[in-house]
Amino acid sequence: MINKILVANRGEIAVRIIRACREMGIGTVAVYSEADSLALHTQLADEAVCIGPAKSNDSYLNMENIISATVITGADAIHPGFGFLSENHKFAKLCEKCNITFIGPPSDVIKSMGNKTQARNTMINAGVNVIPGWNEPINSVEEGKEIAKKVGYPVIIKAALGGGGKGMRVANNEEEFEAAFNTAKKEAKASFNDDSMYMEHFIENPRHVEFQILADSYGNVVHLGERDCSIQRNHQKFIEEGPCVKLTDDLRNRMGEAAVRAAKAANYVGAGTIEFLVENDKDFYFMEMNTRIQVEHPVTEWITGIDLIKAQIRIASGEKLSIEQKDVKITGHSIECRINAENPSKGFRTSPGKITDLYLPGGKGIRIDTSIYSGYEVPPYYDSMIAKLIVHAKTRNEAIRKMKSALGEIIIQGIDTNVDYLYEIISSMETN
Amino acid sequence: MKLDMMFKKNNLNSSNSSSTEVPEGLLKKCNKCKAAIFADEVKENLYICPKCHGYFRIPAKRRIASIVEQGTFESLDEGIKTSNPLEYKGYEDKISSLREKTGLDEAVTTGTAYIGANKVMLAICDGRFLMASMGYVVGEKITRAIEMATKERLPVIIFACSGGARMQEGIVSLMQMAKTSAALKRHSDEGNLFISVLTDPTTGGVTASFAMLGDIILAEPNALIGFAGPRVIEQTIGEKLPKGFQRSEFLLEHGFIDAIVAREEMKDTLKKILDIHRIKSNNLCEKETKFASKTKKSVPWDIVQISRRKDRPVGTDYISGLFSEFIEFHGDRYYKDDSAIVGGIALFNGTPVTVIAQCKGKNTKDNISKNFGMPSPYGYRKAIRLMKQAEKFNRPIICFVDTPGAFCGLEAEELGQGEAIARNLFEMSSLKTPILSVVTGEGGSGGALAMAVADEVWMLENSVYSILSPEGFAAILWKDKDLAKEAAKVMKMTAGELLSLKVIDGIIPEPEQFNDTNFNEVAFKMSQVIENFLCKSSKIDNIEIANRRYERFRKM
Repeated sequence: MINKILVANRGEIAVRIIRACREMGIGTVAVYSEADSLALHTQLADEAVCIGPAKSNDSYLNMENIISATVITGADAIHPGFGFLSENHKFAKLCEKCNITFIGPPSDVIKSMGNKTQARNTMINAGVNVIPGWNEPINSVEEGKEIAKKVGYPVIIKAALGGGGKGMRVANNEEEFEAAFNTAKKEAKASFNDDSMYMEHFIENPRHVEFQILADSYGNVVHLGERDCSIQRNHQKFIEEGPCVKLTDDLRNRMGEAAVRAAKAANYVGAGTIEFLVENDKDFYFMEMNTRIQVEHPVTEWITGIDLIKAQIRIASGEKLSIEQKDVKITGHSIECRINAENPSKGFRTSPGKITDLYLPGGKGIRIDTSIYSGYEVPPYYDSMIAKLIVHAKTRNEAIRKMKSALGEIIIQGIDTNVDYLYEIISSMETN
Repeated sequence: MKLDMMFKKNNLNSSNSSSTEVPEGLLKKCNKCKAAIFADEVKENLYICPKCHGYFRIPAKRRIASIVEQGTFESLDEGIKTSNPLEYKGYEDKISSLREKTGLDEAVTTGTAYIGANKVMLAICDGRFLMASMGYVVGEKITRAIEMATKERLPVIIFACSGGARMQEGIVSLMQMAKTSAALKRHSDEGNLFISVLTDPTTGGVTASFAMLGDIILAEPNALIGFAGPRVIEQTIGEKLPKGFQRSEFLLEHGFIDAIVAREEMKDTLKKILDIHRIKSNNLCEKETKFASKTKKSVPWDIVQISRRKDRPVGTDYISGLFSEFIEFHGDRYYKDDSAIVGGIALFNGTPVTVIAQCKGKNTKDNISKNFGMPSPYGYRKAIRLMKQAEKFNRPIICFVDTPGAFCGLEAEELGQGEAIARNLFEMSSLKTPILSVVTGEGGSGGALAMAVADEVWMLENSVYSILSPEGFAAILWKDKDLAKEAAKVMKMTAGELLSLKVIDGIIPEPEQFNDTNFNEVAFKMSQVIENFLCKSSKIDNIEIANRRYERFRKM
């Protein structure tokens, strides 16, 4: 049984996890950097430990200090949230060594799913469709060109350890290949200090659909339906919704089954996400598995009624899944918008600073996950996401209108945000 | 707003019943940045702190693994009996308990190994063993290793890390300093290479013996290197020592080490140095080098102006443009390093050479650090040190001359500028290895000649070479430095005039506006000259080369 959890994160997700613990009667330890002594998570937790200077490398990525904080406060588990150390297999391994429960999958699963080549092989063996491509590192331009012919142009060249759009380039034909390959390789080396590259067929204008799964330590796996995350800027999601209205029931079932198969093949434990690319709303391919809770998890929580953070904690405590696939019912439609401290008219430049005035909407079917408050100073050192607005309604169009209305109510003064930008995009999604 | 006290907390009486704990040895504290770090990560990372990049002392075994080809190390001379000449109480017990604890034979591990294709003799100190102090066994093992290397003509590499002589063995320890130094002298006299690598700390009797006797002395960054320990000095003189005193960087600045090499780059650097010392001159061919017998410009003053242009390529451009694998060696081993003269070893079309260049800067800041290309006495002393090193290893020497003159200042006189120049003329005249000098810009007086007592002297078309500047000439003879233009006309300082006087041997033509954009044009012709010179000299005995050099200047 878990008595006390150290939350190795900051911002709204740290608050979200602390809230779940408060409800479950579990003690909480927040960790914070010198820049976050007044952050909401620091103040809301039962205990708080400063783990270093503002820079993430010295604080939220400082494994040594986080482990020490856990041992000192007597916490028996760590929830890593998302980002930071959440998918760091070395960190998970350390927790295992120190007899700390890492709320997430075992370190070797994180490791194998984190290496895209290895993840792909696992999926092929499990009979899950993967994008036509090459799952061996490509060493030279010549070799790459040969493989590209087999895979079929356009091709996308990616870093084996890639993410966030870094180390990724598209080549439409053989002429473009060399430049694309070299740029991607260079970027990969700079970003991940590893330039093993692989390649796949590039699906133009794909739909990005991901399935939430839950797996316990006894081999039981269920999926909780899908989220459509096709609206992205620079390969970064910022509006997510569920369910995906373009999926037929048949396709949804097949994808759900594939997701469960994928999770089983990976020996997965905990909450995870299988990302698929859907081509022409009929074929789907495994893209990657995220071995953590995701930013957009509230969408699934709302359409299934399942609290994913609590589920993570229960699974980590060794509990069996209390539901089977047939118990999972999708109700209504949910949309999430990510509110960032940034200025869309100035190239999305981040906008840290003091929030002088704040008004947040509420009401039926409106949820806000945030860590800001009036007088809070948004520090310049971390991700610019300051809040998530999630709505739930019977139909998609109703949800869009609810989102539009809620966005229209938000007042955040003192810093620039993307609220108006989101308002425009949501408005354009409205039909009839 | 402080919300902390306003929130209602869970108020759990969470007894610390948790069974979490950090296993013994998982974490350690960096003694430099004080951060908690994972012991395994430090070991995997060459004993470098992942947080502050500070260096931990590295066990001999790990050190060897980090620099040699896997599986090639063969240990030598283990199990020599400890001497206890002072019958120091408990000494033998201490040694045997250390042997058990560290798994080491003694404070130094010796043996042969390969670095790349180079077989070498290694001696690696390990600070865990009585601070790697040098007693009889350490001195004996190092000496035997050197003697064997002398016999087998192997390069010796010693990684020093030591508190100095071993107090427990008294005067016998002191004698190890003489013994190891003597063995190195024999090794050196046979023309063998010794690379000394200084690591933290290298002090006392080790600094005052084998550690400072390398043909090439490298050091790890920020290592403490000195004779007397800093605490002893402070107590003796009653003053606080400045920050950085006795650190590698301090020694580099003061001319005692050739280069500071990061641990990650140590193997590559050693391999490069060993390669350059192993490979023989490559197949060189004679080249056509009769480019010009006079200059295109006819007004000497115009040439003087061009030779001083700020956009003219400088010494470092010739080094990087004409040579590969250049490794810079710093310092005169007496006082200081002079950045107005850059020297080191490199390959020219695969042939090992020593290259030394007088260097102006590429911009004002660079020029200030290089003292506008005006060398100090320690610059000339570095140059002659590198030339003698070249002679020892039969490497031809290529010099690039470009200086307004030797630096004229207080310190330069105090340190013997005249003596330094004279010494270079004296020593260069008889070096038994080929010397080629190329005047690339200003060949200012004795300061230029100190790097031009060569077998062949070439000039770039728009360079000058003279007894002193035309301004100086006019001021001395005509009491008016404004007559410099006239002086240039009578001084015979341009390449065409000097070729007629047989002061130089050839002219390398230049494009109209010689600068970085058309550098390759000149570099190509220059490489023809160098290759032709190296090819011709390789056919002549080195003693004959020195004799011909004598005759060349005898005729002047």
